[in-house]
Amino acid sequence: MKNIILVGKPNSGKSLLFNQLTGMRQKVANFPGVTVELKSGKFDQYQLVDFPGTYSLQSLSRDEELAIAKLHEAMHSDDTSLIVCNLDATRLERSLVFGLQVRDLAFQHNKGLIFALNMIDEVSRFGHHIDTEQLAQDLGCKVHALSAKTLLGLHEFRLALLDAAQHPQDFIPLKTEEASQPVLEISRKLSQQYGIKADVVLKRQNKIDDFLLNNVFGGLIFLVIMFLLFQSIFTWASPLMDGVEAIVGQLAALSSSVLPPGVVNDFVTDALFGGVGSFLVFVPQIMVLTLVIGLLEDTGYLARAALICHKPLSFFGLSGRSFIPYLSGHACAIPAIFAARTIESPRKRLITMMTIPLMSCSARLPVYALLIAVLVPETQYLGGLLNLQGITFFILYFIGILTALLVSTLLNKLTDMNTDQAEMPFILELPTYRLPHWKPLIHRVLTSAKQFIKRAAPVIFMVSVVIWFLGYFPQNGDLQSSYLAMLGHWIDPIFTPLGLDWRYGVAILVSFLAREVFVGALGTLFGIEGADENIAGLAANIQSDGLALGAGIGLMLFYVVALQCVATVATIKGETGSKKIAWGLFVGYGLLAYFLAFLAATFI
Amino acid sequence: MTLWEIKNKQSAMIDSLDATLVPAIGQRLNEMGFASGQLIQCLRRSPLKGPLVLQLGDCVYSLEQSIATRINITAA
Ligand SMILES: Nc1nc2c(ncn2[C@@H]2O[C@H](COP(=O)(O)OP(=O)(O)OP(=O)(O)O)[C@@H](O)[C@H]2O)c(=O)[nH]1
Ligand SMILES: [Mg+2]
Repeated sequence: MKNIILVGKPNSGKSLLFNQLTGMRQKVANFPGVTVELKSGKFDQYQLVDFPGTYSLQSLSRDEELAIAKLHEAMHSDDTSLIVCNLDATRLERSLVFGLQVRDLAFQHNKGLIFALNMIDEVSRFGHHIDTEQLAQDLGCKVHALSAKTLLGLHEFRLALLDAAQHPQDFIPLKTEEASQPVLEISRKLSQQYGIKADVVLKRQNKIDDFLLNNVFGGLIFLVIMFLLFQSIFTWASPLMDGVEAIVGQLAALSSSVLPPGVVNDFVTDALFGGVGSFLVFVPQIMVLTLVIGLLEDTGYLARAALICHKPLSFFGLSGRSFIPYLSGHACAIPAIFAARTIESPRKRLITMMTIPLMSCSARLPVYALLIAVLVPETQYLGGLLNLQGITFFILYFIGILTALLVSTLLNKLTDMNTDQAEMPFILELPTYRLPHWKPLIHRVLTSAKQFIKRAAPVIFMVSVVIWFLGYFPQNGDLQSSYLAMLGHWIDPIFTPLGLDWRYGVAILVSFLAREVFVGALGTLFGIEGADENIAGLAANIQSDGLALGAGIGLMLFYVVALQCVATVATIKGETGSKKIAWGLFVGYGLLAYFLAFLAATFI
Repeated sequence: MTLWEIKNKQSAMIDSLDATLVPAIGQRLNEMGFASGQLIQCLRRSPLKGPLVLQLGDCVYSLEQSIATRINITAA
C-alpha cells in the first residue's frame, strides 16, 4: 500500500484532519505536542500517516526528532506517494516556515506535495479571506482551504487528495523565483500578503490571558481549577454512582429471589453481583474524570497551566511541560508516559516518566472511593459545595503528587553529576482559546467507560470466580474454614504488621493483576461471609465487619504509592529502554508503599 | 540588552542570538522566529522570575530565563 504522509506545525489540526479522512479517533487536543508517534490509517486505497507536529526541520524534543527522522526517511522511500503539509490559516507565518522547508525537501526528492490550509472557519469568522489561488502560485504547489472542524471544503479536499495521490508526479513543487531567499523572509512576506493581522487573531486570546495568567489571581485560579477537578470526580459522579449501585442491587435481589436457594444462587449473588457489580459502580467516576480533563485539553488552558507551573516545578527538577503528562497520568499512566516525549530536556523527561506512576490513575479510583466510603463520614460544608469525602479524595491525590515531587527532587540530586550537558530550554507556544469540540469529547467519555469495563471486567470476573470457589468450599459458604482461608494464613504474616487480616491480603495480592480487582475480590469475600441476603453494599459490609482507622489509612497510602500495573512497567521499559529502571521502580514503590502503610497502622 | 531585561508591554527588535547557545538550539530558535530584525513584544512577566510571555509575529510564546538571557535585543 502506498503512503500519504501528513505533516505540519504543532497544533495546526493535523490529527483532526486525519480523523476526518480515515474515520479513526486519534487524540486531538488544543495544545502543541499532542501526537508523539506516527499513526497510520486507511484512506481509500492509501495509508495515511499522521506525524507529530514540528516547527522546523531542527528538532528540540524527542517527538520532533522522531517526526523529522521519519520525514527524511519518507522522502527517500518509494512507498511515499504524496506529502500533505497542513497549515494553520490563522498562523500563516509560523506554519509556512516549516511548510516551505518541506516544499524544498519535496522538490529535491521529486515528491508530490499539496498544502491543506486548515482552520479556514476561524479565518472567515474574523471576516478575512485568503486568496488560495494566488497563494498556490506563489508557493508553486496546490493549496486547499478547509476546516477539519466544520467540514467546510473537506469533501473537495478528499477528491483533490485522491487525484493527487494517483499522479503525484504532477504535484512536485515548481521552482519559484524567490526560492533562493531564506524561508523566514519568504514566510513573513507571504503571511503579510495573505494572512490575517496577528493583532486581530491574538486580541481575544491576550484578553483572556490577562485574566487567567494574572500575576495576582493567576496562581489562585489555577489552584481552584485543580481543586474543582478532583472534587468534581466525587461530587458530580455520586448521583450516577448511586443509580448504578441501586440497579446492581435490584438485579442481585431479583436474581436471588428467582433462583432456588443453594450453591448456584450463592455463586450468582456473591461472585457475579458482589464481585463484578461492586466495580461497575465506579464507571461514572471514570467518565467524569475523562470529561473534565478533556474540557481542559480542548480549551487551551493546559498550556497556560504548564507555564504557571514551570517555575515551581523546576524547583523539583522538572519542567513546566511535565504538568501535562502528570495531569493525564490521573486518567492512565500509559499515555502519560508517552506524552512525556514532548519534554525537551532528556533528564527532565526521564524523571517525569519515573514519577508518573505516582499520579493516582483511574484504576485507583474504585479503591479510594470504597475505602473513603468506609472510613470517612458524609459531612458537608458550605451547603454541600464541599464535602468531607471529596476533600479526602483531594488529599489522596495530593499525597501522590507530593510523593512524586519528593522522588523527583531525589532523582534530580542523584543525576546531578552530568549537568554540563546542555539542557534543552523551555519554550512553549500558547494556543488560541477554543470552545470544546463536543462530539469527539462525548465520544471519548463513552470510550473511557467502555475501555475501563473491557480492560478490568474479565480479570475481575475470573478472579471473583476463582476466589469464590476457593472461599466457598469445602464447607459450602463458611469462609473461615475454606481452602482460601488455608492459603490465606500463609500470607498472614506479611499483612499483620499493616493491621490487615488475610482477606485484605488476598485482595491486595490479586490486585497486582489490576488495581480495581481489589474491590471485586473484597466484594466476593464479604459476599460469601454475609450468608444472609446481604445486599447493603460493600462499604457497609466492611464497616460492620470493622476496619481499624490506622489500617484503613495505611491501605489507602499503599494504593497511592504502589506500582501495581504490569502494563505501566512495560511502557516505562519501552520508553526508557531500561529494564532496570522499570523493575527498580516496581520494587522501590512497592517497598515504600508497604513502609508507609506500616507507619500508618502502627502510629494512628 | 538581553530579552530577559525587557519590561512588561515593551516592544523591541531582536539583535542577535548569543554565541554561547548550542547551535541546534540557536537554529531552532531562529526558525521559530527569534531571528535578528524581528519585532517582539512582551505580553507579561511572571512573578518569581517565571517564564516570559512574548508575541512574535502571529504566535505567542512562553520562554524561560535561561534562554531569554541569551537573546540580545534593542528596545524600540
Ligand atoms: N476552529 C477549528 N479548530 C480546529 C480545526 N482543526 C483542528 N482544530 C482544533 O485545533 C486543535 C489542535 O488540533 P490537533 O488535530 O490536535 O492538532 P495537531 O496538528 O494534530 O497537533 P499536534 O499533534 O500537537 O502536532 C484542536 O483543539 C482542534 O479541535 C479547524 O478546522 N477549525
Ligand atoms: Mg496531532
